[in-house]
Amino acid sequence: MRSSRRPNVPAPARAVHQFIPRIAWGDAVGNQVRYLQALLRGWGYTSEIYADQFDEECRPLVRPAEAWPREAAEDSVLLIHHSFESRRVPLLARGPGRKALVYHNVTPASLFEGFDRKVAKACEAAREELLALRPCVEAAYAYSHFSAEELVAAGFAQVSVLPFALDWGAFHAPADPSLQAEFDDGCVNILFVGRAVPSKRIDDVMRVFAAYQRLYQPRSRLLVAGYLNRETPYGTYLHGVKELLGAERIHLLGRVSAAQLSACYSVATVYLSMSRHEGFGVPLLEAMERGVPVVAYGAAAVPETMGGAGLATRTREPEEVAQLLAALEREPSLREQVLAGQRERLNPLRQEAVAEQVREGLRPLLESSPGPRPAPSSDAGLRLVCPGFVSRPSAPASHLARRLAGQFPGARVLSLSPTTSLLSPGPLSAQEGTTSLWQFSPDQPLPAGAASSFPLPSSSSLEMAVRTSPSPVVFLDAGTEVARHVLPHVRERAWAVHEAGAPVPEAARALGTRLLPLVAGQEEATFHQLVESLRSSGEAHAR
Amino acid sequence: MRAEELLCDPALAAAVAAATQRLPPPPAGQREALQAVLERTERAPTEADWPPLLQAPREKKDTRYADSPTSHRPVVGPALVLAKRAFRGLFQPFINEVMRKQVEFNEAILDALVLIYEQQRESASTQAAWRKEMGERLAHLEKTRATEGKPR
Repeated sequence: MRSSRRPNVPAPARAVHQFIPRIAWGDAVGNQVRYLQALLRGWGYTSEIYADQFDEECRPLVRPAEAWPREAAEDSVLLIHHSFESRRVPLLARGPGRKALVYHNVTPASLFEGFDRKVAKACEAAREELLALRPCVEAAYAYSHFSAEELVAAGFAQVSVLPFALDWGAFHAPADPSLQAEFDDGCVNILFVGRAVPSKRIDDVMRVFAAYQRLYQPRSRLLVAGYLNRETPYGTYLHGVKELLGAERIHLLGRVSAAQLSACYSVATVYLSMSRHEGFGVPLLEAMERGVPVVAYGAAAVPETMGGAGLATRTREPEEVAQLLAALEREPSLREQVLAGQRERLNPLRQEAVAEQVREGLRPLLESSPGPRPAPSSDAGLRLVCPGFVSRPSAPASHLARRLAGQFPGARVLSLSPTTSLLSPGPLSAQEGTTSLWQFSPDQPLPAGAASSFPLPSSSSLEMAVRTSPSPVVFLDAGTEVARHVLPHVRERAWAVHEAGAPVPEAARALGTRLLPLVAGQEEATFHQLVESLRSSGEAHAR
Repeated sequence: MRAEELLCDPALAAAVAAATQRLPPPPAGQREALQAVLERTERAPTEADWPPLLQAPREKKDTRYADSPTSHRPVVGPALVLAKRAFRGLFQPFINEVMRKQVEFNEAILDALVLIYEQQRESASTQAAWRKEMGERLAHLEKTRATEGKPR
């Protein structure tokens, strides 16, 4: 029974529970939750998993979410796993005990646009819920620096990175003999494992495979293992792409058993991923564990997951990526070099080491009393959003950002970084002359040399930093993805500049007189107009 | 593939780049044909707005609230409007509760309809692309046959 009197200083926790909106046997987040429960129980804590939705296999392990407020005590801790919309923030906020967030990242809604409105909306809602969870939790954990950066940008206190725990034993289930015999016929097998959702870009996997089969290896086969719903727009689209590509031997296997998955890995020549978003990519490591060289498009946390092993690319051009498949197939020494790197990558991820790191990571939360909440940052200087500031320093938008930063004391330039910082969980902070600069990880890698024609990608963490800052904000290029995503949230305190002649996004048009054109050769006029407008609004104070 | 395009150890990236350079260059014709196929599979951007067909049901899905009451009657009208407003004001929480399931059903059915609509659109566009490709292949075959002359 719960104590009726709250102790003034909570003692170290005796029970550590977990909440997850939905849990399924075999999904990466679900596996992580079950693993954490086993660890916590092993350390002597009482630990239950609370969920709203669960499959039959998970039923014996799970308690209904509604039961948590009744069953939890004031001295308990709740780990809230967040990766999708839960609609449970009010329940979580009013429940007893201390709470911490475990963030698995939320797929950007834009990756579902045009395919699934409902999921896109739910992804938007999940980010709103992330912000709503801020006051309820005293610590926040992420499984990659990429995700941790977004938490820091969102203003969470006590952000740290936990190592992702993998049950390596589960990757070595005996292979299904019939599937193995069917595919082990001398053909080169390219494998992808994952659900058929737009963010995984299985259509790009098929394009790369088609290029490989047509240009380098006709005797090749593509295996795609993962849930596929034919009756969704993306499922239909995938089947259409498959027909149009005319490539032979593309097998969309759908959901597979552990034995069938094991058979797929046992016959795979190369593992190929073109996913546009991963908070942490478990199949990449699974392929490494099974001795399959990995080729992956380096989006989001993919390069961090791969840790320099395998081949992560900045490009998603099918012909270019197909070259990598061909090189790995034809050159055994290169293949062996890649595999050696992959084995080295897995060494620090062995279970005992990871369990110890997880314990160390959670220790401040589990074994101490909550400290005072840090006061919200009072840094209210002008925010200059210029995604190309670092990669395109001589672009007109970057020049304008530099001049504005010189004009407004305390102004800060927010830009995209060419790499993810693995040194600290937050964005890279730097001083460029008198300009204060924050660099955020892009959601997709910037191409080498950052050709000016390449559209700059979005950045979940940069967008979150702009949304959560109370400061006035200037978008130095209204046409960028970042501006398109954030402007609807910060319209009242935003100014924007758009390249004259370029199409103006709907959200920017709503700014009215606070939207200024940047005409080539007349940058000076735009600069003065902007300074005047900012100064007259009283939101920012110029020198 | 250039070494700078790889996010891995620079020595490995250089070795991989060199290995890709050693690959036999594919025939130009094959590369052109591949590009044409890849372009055909690119998806045209879809409009972000809701399909016009479903716009009206979408606006009516929330049955909890009615339009603001009005009346054209000169004397009784304002009293009626006031009474209606008072009724709504008093009973809105109960109306919300009664209508909750209905709103959830409306949202679910609308989601299903939009899914069917978009799947059909996707299917139609794939079929159109497929028909176009078939037409092109047939035309190519006929042209080849014509240039080769009569069968031997």
